[in-house]
Amino acid sequence: MKAADLTVSTGSHWHSGARITDFSYNTLLALIPAIAMGLYRYGVCAAGVIGTAVASAMIAEAAMQKILGKPVRIADGSAAVSGLLLALLLPANTPAYMVVVASVIGITIGKLCFGGLGANPLSPALVGWAVLRITKPWAGYLDFDLALINYDLGFSMQYPLAVLKASGSSGLQDFNTWNLFLGNQTGGIGASAIVCVLGGGLYMIARGLVRWEIPLCFLLGVIIASCLFRLVDSAAYAGPLFHIVTGNVMIGAFFLSTDNSSAPINRWGMVAFGLCCGMITVVLRVWSVYPDGVVFACLLMSLFVPLLDKLKATPIVVRPTRAQITRKTVEGGASS
Amino acid sequence: MGLRAFCGDLPPRIPYWTGAVPVESLPLPQRATLLWREASPGDVGVAVGDSVQTGQNLAREGTGLFMSTVTGTVEEIDSLQGADAVEYAVVGIKTVEVDSYDSSINGIEDLANTAPEQILAMIIRAGFPGFDAVVQGATVETLIISALDQEPLTAVNAQVLLERANDVSDGIAMLSRATGAKKVVVAIPHNSAHAADDISVDQAEIVKVRATYPNGLPEILAKKQGAGLLLTTERNGTVGNTLVVSIEHLVGMVSCLREGRPFVNKIVTCCGKSGGELKNILVRIGTPVSMALDNLDVKLPPGGKLIINGPMHGYACFSDEQPMTATSDSVLVQKPAEVHRFESTACMNCGRCSAVCPVNLEVNLLGRFSEYGIFDKCAELGAENCIECGLCVYVCPARRPLLHLLAHARFVVKEETVEK
Ligand code: SF4
Ligand code: SF4
Repeated sequence: MKAADLTVSTGSHWHSGARITDFSYNTLLALIPAIAMGLYRYGVCAAGVIGTAVASAMIAEAAMQKILGKPVRIADGSAAVSGLLLALLLPANTPAYMVVVASVIGITIGKLCFGGLGANPLSPALVGWAVLRITKPWAGYLDFDLALINYDLGFSMQYPLAVLKASGSSGLQDFNTWNLFLGNQTGGIGASAIVCVLGGGLYMIARGLVRWEIPLCFLLGVIIASCLFRLVDSAAYAGPLFHIVTGNVMIGAFFLSTDNSSAPINRWGMVAFGLCCGMITVVLRVWSVYPDGVVFACLLMSLFVPLLDKLKATPIVVRPTRAQITRKTVEGGASS
Repeated sequence: MGLRAFCGDLPPRIPYWTGAVPVESLPLPQRATLLWREASPGDVGVAVGDSVQTGQNLAREGTGLFMSTVTGTVEEIDSLQGADAVEYAVVGIKTVEVDSYDSSINGIEDLANTAPEQILAMIIRAGFPGFDAVVQGATVETLIISALDQEPLTAVNAQVLLERANDVSDGIAMLSRATGAKKVVVAIPHNSAHAADDISVDQAEIVKVRATYPNGLPEILAKKQGAGLLLTTERNGTVGNTLVVSIEHLVGMVSCLREGRPFVNKIVTCCGKSGGELKNILVRIGTPVSMALDNLDVKLPPGGKLIINGPMHGYACFSDEQPMTATSDSVLVQKPAEVHRFESTACMNCGRCSAVCPVNLEVNLLGRFSEYGIFDKCAELGAENCIECGLCVYVCPARRPLLHLLAHARFVVKEETVEK
């Protein structure tokens, strides 16, 4: 047969049209309301933090890929997303050098050292944030009450979770859950815009870019754990709704814990992952020295992803496996 | 290109064709090319210059059945390496207009009084594919008659179901007697309501199957009906107990055994361009694809793709002289701009491939292990079970050549199994 000028390949010869950039660009899109709320609240400072974080993450990624001799792939947008998520967790007046350090460390150590997009066991944004959090001299900048002391936005300028830590649930009289849900609370630039984050998260689920299992189970985990604490002592511990509408839980459930490479991909793995993240969050909020525990919960659970991914459906045998072939040979040998 | 949904739809809905696509007959080709899988030119029992009859067995004595589907003179005997690393024997025959039929294929008049073995032997002799394992002595427990097409943009079984639903019950009676199957299932598309009334069968169970890919693939049909493994031949023997027969082959058996004729004509659905109309043609097995393209008035675009057997798990041809076989269901032409290009990107671990895999493989891991040659891990993860449906490739946002990697892993795992 004479070969014609044709393209030859294995199937499938159709493609759904999905691209890697779908994930990152849609995440950016989904976070626009939260960014807008942050800019409205904190003005140019917030813009500075977001800009610095995104730019330094992208530059760090491009530079590192150049140094490692890999193709430069910053156009896939994943570095921008990491930078943005990091910025949304920070208070609006975080000094620029801290932002740069966090996003460069997040991208280089958190991501490219492991081989880049898809191979990182931890989410780069969370690694960057955690580095800031555990660096002693900088801890004050991440304390929202201290950091945002110069702002008066017309609602209580106390960080709800810090109040909870200091005076138990009796100190929460001033907070109205609905107001908190609408984002009238201090906190990270975007993370505190609870309703915007929720809207963005639902958009991601509707587009099929975030699977629903992790966010839902994350929130469920928060509810379960906080109810358990409530059962023990309802005066000392806050209720589930308060936990959900404060701090980083919403952004954690929809955007931080669902980072593709540091989350499980099989259904029951995702369910377990989400539940554990949510429960550990509440446990950390109650027992750790930090007011919020979302980031550490996600980081901790990410380490268990290879294990959680073992919770998978067993492959369906449609083709004879090695064992079956051998068995058949024995039978065949006996009969012939 | 495929369907692009706003909502992430997992599994993606890739519907089968429904509705009528009338069949047009194509004239006999001047030259027919016959392919014989897993055979070499030495197995062919005729020589260049010999004249052959329609239905004649061209295989050398004792090497099996390789039936000529045309009458004419042998022009060429050659071999060919398929994409699946299997050798094919190739026989080119210059055809003559009027068929003369080989006398060893006879009609069976009185079905009830004919021995099952005799019916089965005649079905196999008439050239119906898929009975290799039965020939080797395997028994059929479950017989599944599939009225679903295997692929989108294919309307072969859909059309046969519309036209010849009356023959289905005869066919089932015959085939279940011939194979001795304990259970017979007729799978029809969920949306073809009227055909269910036309098919009156006592001895079979009619089930409606959702008409979306991959529900028409034999492995999936067998799995969904709770049947055992498909009957396949391995180098060491046969495996499985379930036989899936397409409704086109089933009614073909009815006609062939009524008239004592070999199975030589095949319906093929052609699609000249993506989004274009479908056209069903009736061709002689061995007709080159180029004849179908001429009939469609389609020129092969340089750098484009010529796909046989559907856009999802079909194969891309390297030549338009490729003949249609007894299992060719469709021909599809893609322009270069429509050709899906793989990219050498790393997996981003989104998990879509594993979510769509109909046999629950961890495709993200298998793809990586295969890429880096870690085949024992591939075997551990069950790479042999991949049915090459192509869904993982369809959804992969990193556009990785997953099916290629999986097929490679399967090939290596299989080779190693045999060596041990
Ligand atoms: S081609 Fe194989 S691995 Fe991919 S989805 Fe189909 S069965 Fe699963
Ligand atoms: S669909 Fe592609 S990118 Fe996503 S996990 Fe599978 S191989 Fe990786």
